[in-house]
Amino acid sequence: MSAMNDPDAPVHGLTARQMALYRFRRNPLAVVGTLIVFSVILAAVFAPWIAPAPESAGSFVDFRNRHSPPNWDNLMGTDNVGRDVFSRVIFGYRVSLGLVVGVLGVAVPFGVILGLCAGYFGGWTETIIMRFTDIMLALPPLAMALAITAVLSPNLINAMIAITLLWWTWHTRLIYRIVKGQMNEDYVEAARVAGASHAHILFRELLPNCFSAVAVKISLDAGFVILFGAALSFLGLGVQPPTPDLGTMVATGSEYLPEMWWQAVMPGLAILYAILGFNLLGDGLRDMLDVEL
Amino acid sequence: MNPLLDIRDLCIGFDAYGQHRRVLHNVDLHVNEGERVSLIGQSGSGKTVTMRTIIGTLPMPPGKVEQGSIYYNGQSLLDLNKQDRNRLKGIGISIVLQDPMLSFNPVLTIGRQMDDVIRYGDLRLRNSRSRADRRTHMIETLNKVQLRDGGRVLDSYPMMLSGGMRQRVLIGMALLNKPRLLIADEPGTALDVTTQDEILALLNRLVVEEGLSLLLITHNLGVVREMADRVYVMERGHIVETGTRDEIFDAPQHAYTRELMAAVPPLYGDGVKTTEHEGTQPIVDVASVSKDFETRSGWLNRVTGSFRAVNDVSLTVQQGDIFGIAGESGSGKTTLAKIIMGLTAPTKGAVQIDGRSLDGFAGTQEFRKLIQIVYQNPGSSLNPRRTVGDQLAVPLKFTGFDKPSINRRISELLDLVELPQNYSAMYPHELSGGQKQRVAIARALSVNPKILVLDEPTSALDVLVQSTVIDLLHDLRREFDLTYIFISHDLSLMRNFCNRVAVMLRGEVVETGPVAEIFDTPGHPYTRALLSAIPVISPEEDALKPIVSKEERAAVLATSTELEDT
Repeated sequence: MSAMNDPDAPVHGLTARQMALYRFRRNPLAVVGTLIVFSVILAAVFAPWIAPAPESAGSFVDFRNRHSPPNWDNLMGTDNVGRDVFSRVIFGYRVSLGLVVGVLGVAVPFGVILGLCAGYFGGWTETIIMRFTDIMLALPPLAMALAITAVLSPNLINAMIAITLLWWTWHTRLIYRIVKGQMNEDYVEAARVAGASHAHILFRELLPNCFSAVAVKISLDAGFVILFGAALSFLGLGVQPPTPDLGTMVATGSEYLPEMWWQAVMPGLAILYAILGFNLLGDGLRDMLDVEL
Repeated sequence: MNPLLDIRDLCIGFDAYGQHRRVLHNVDLHVNEGERVSLIGQSGSGKTVTMRTIIGTLPMPPGKVEQGSIYYNGQSLLDLNKQDRNRLKGIGISIVLQDPMLSFNPVLTIGRQMDDVIRYGDLRLRNSRSRADRRTHMIETLNKVQLRDGGRVLDSYPMMLSGGMRQRVLIGMALLNKPRLLIADEPGTALDVTTQDEILALLNRLVVEEGLSLLLITHNLGVVREMADRVYVMERGHIVETGTRDEIFDAPQHAYTRELMAAVPPLYGDGVKTTEHEGTQPIVDVASVSKDFETRSGWLNRVTGSFRAVNDVSLTVQQGDIFGIAGESGSGKTTLAKIIMGLTAPTKGAVQIDGRSLDGFAGTQEFRKLIQIVYQNPGSSLNPRRTVGDQLAVPLKFTGFDKPSINRRISELLDLVELPQNYSAMYPHELSGGQKQRVAIARALSVNPKILVLDEPTSALDVLVQSTVIDLLHDLRREFDLTYIFISHDLSLMRNFCNRVAVMLRGEVVETGPVAEIFDTPGHPYTRALLSAIPVISPEEDALKPIVSKEERAAVLATSTELEDT
């Protein structure tokens, strides 16, 4: 039976991947988001080669050139000790993306597994996991992060731990809801009738049906993690000087507002740029993969 | 005389994913005043696109009228501006949609939803009526659709009404502003056959009483025979044949029409194929099985009562039987299947399969090699994110096959269900409905079971596809000496497929026996009512259907005209 003569063949002989790519390409904002995210990742990975003044990343001082406004040598001006803000922003992306990878690399698998178990097993497993998630969600995130970093010493690793401890809950909830919906589908029962193990049903049958939602969520999350990390640093509880971090740069630069605006505004815009990119990409993925969050 | 609705040379195209595709090709169709016209076609043939173009709800883009025109009462619909077009909605042309569950807003009362229809109609007609007048009008309209207790219906929420009543209200809503043309999209298809029968009779009566013209869109030839003066047959966007009802049914000209007619399983007459089989060795034994479900509500989700889904059912299926379990929705047939599969434990009674009790046996590897299930909707029973090969491998992997033998078996299975080998790497959405069901059958057969439970395996498929799947099931049974337990609401299909049948009503088996006996001399009034309600495609079959008196029918069936007292 060839596909052409079949009376009820799918209409346009395209695969899901082709249809998704088509939707993505037709969405200019998604393409812009992808380009932004790509540029941020490139900047972070190749920072020492891209930055015009890589020495500015460390505790370099050049007092003759301090507080110089944006010019051709220093595209974003220089800071209070004469370091090139543009170079520091590029290095700052390294810290931001490191934070994203560290936080989501732990929080997402953890949250996803808990969500899968809660949705699939139901009963007491569900009650315990979901009520614990509710409790964690009830804690005000910034206050919690402040408490953790204040008790431990303020540095990048501790900031990462603090954010991770709060972040998994969103993924647990998301996956729980998806799995609950999928449990009504016959394929779960069909797998059980076929004798499949719990592990098989959880990771081979249910997990693939969560992938698109997780992909979208990760993309949207990345922006928020950057923002959260920047907020902690701004309050002095995250990355410590002289490591170039966007939040710390905004904090130090803000002392020189409004006259020497570039010291705070430029790193601020850099944060905005990265978050905008991740959000546009996330929205684009959402349309492309057709998921609801 | 000019026709009321006249579609001339209509071509509609769609732009999707950068490709252009024409879905309607030079469609000519007209409906005269007072005439009942049917448009028949399988899913994807373009009948819904035609309907939506007439009422102006086809999304454009991606849709585009490339050619042709539609005249309503001499007025060209496609040339009207949006406002004038809207003015015709509900007043000139009205529509009854397919699914009475989905067509209501669940949080508003029926009265409020009907009131909106009148008020918008009045706005367009520049009438104004008081609230009391509108309510009187609503109650009168509900009376027309045989809902006598109009006031109470108006104050109800949609979920408080049965499916049949909702369908009646929906028809009433379409009549509120006294349209001249009623378009009905698969009316009653989502309902049980006995309720569908009532709805069709109602529509027929309304056409006469209200002087309506009817355009009926359906895939069911039996319905067309009862509901049409003239018929259009549509295949892939082309009108392939048109004629009066008798012309089409007595002497179909086009090959496609004939193919369609031949694919409809006959209920009575010479065309009926009886599956002969006399089993001697019982393989499934169900002994006075009951199943209660608890109903929970209120504070802390307490148990507030119980509902008996299956009541004292006893059945014996012989080796090699195709045992049909017939019943309408809510009759408990699927629950019974789940009990036999060991997926739900019965509250009372016992099930033996191959002489062994299910306790401690259900779910074991040995049990799985004995009995497997094919679900109703392959769209749900196949995992959308796994390839065909992956899904076929699951039962094998958990029955101790090793990697090379799994691959060998998958390729055997694809051959068995007549699918090409390269389908192994495809995802379900790349397959058609019939192909998906073939994959589901292959999966059920993978570990060589002796018994297959078929839970409405063809009800999601078009009739042409259905006949190919049924042929496949016949072949497989012969080849592997299988026993089928076939659950369905489609009695015509059962007549031709099964050798024994049990009829279920509200959790009980009311009648059981060899298929010819049950159909030719039905003993229980419910069986008789069920058989008499089936729309058939020839007068011979109609003549052979049992005749059921009103009283007999009322004794076994709830009507869709009265509210239940709560």
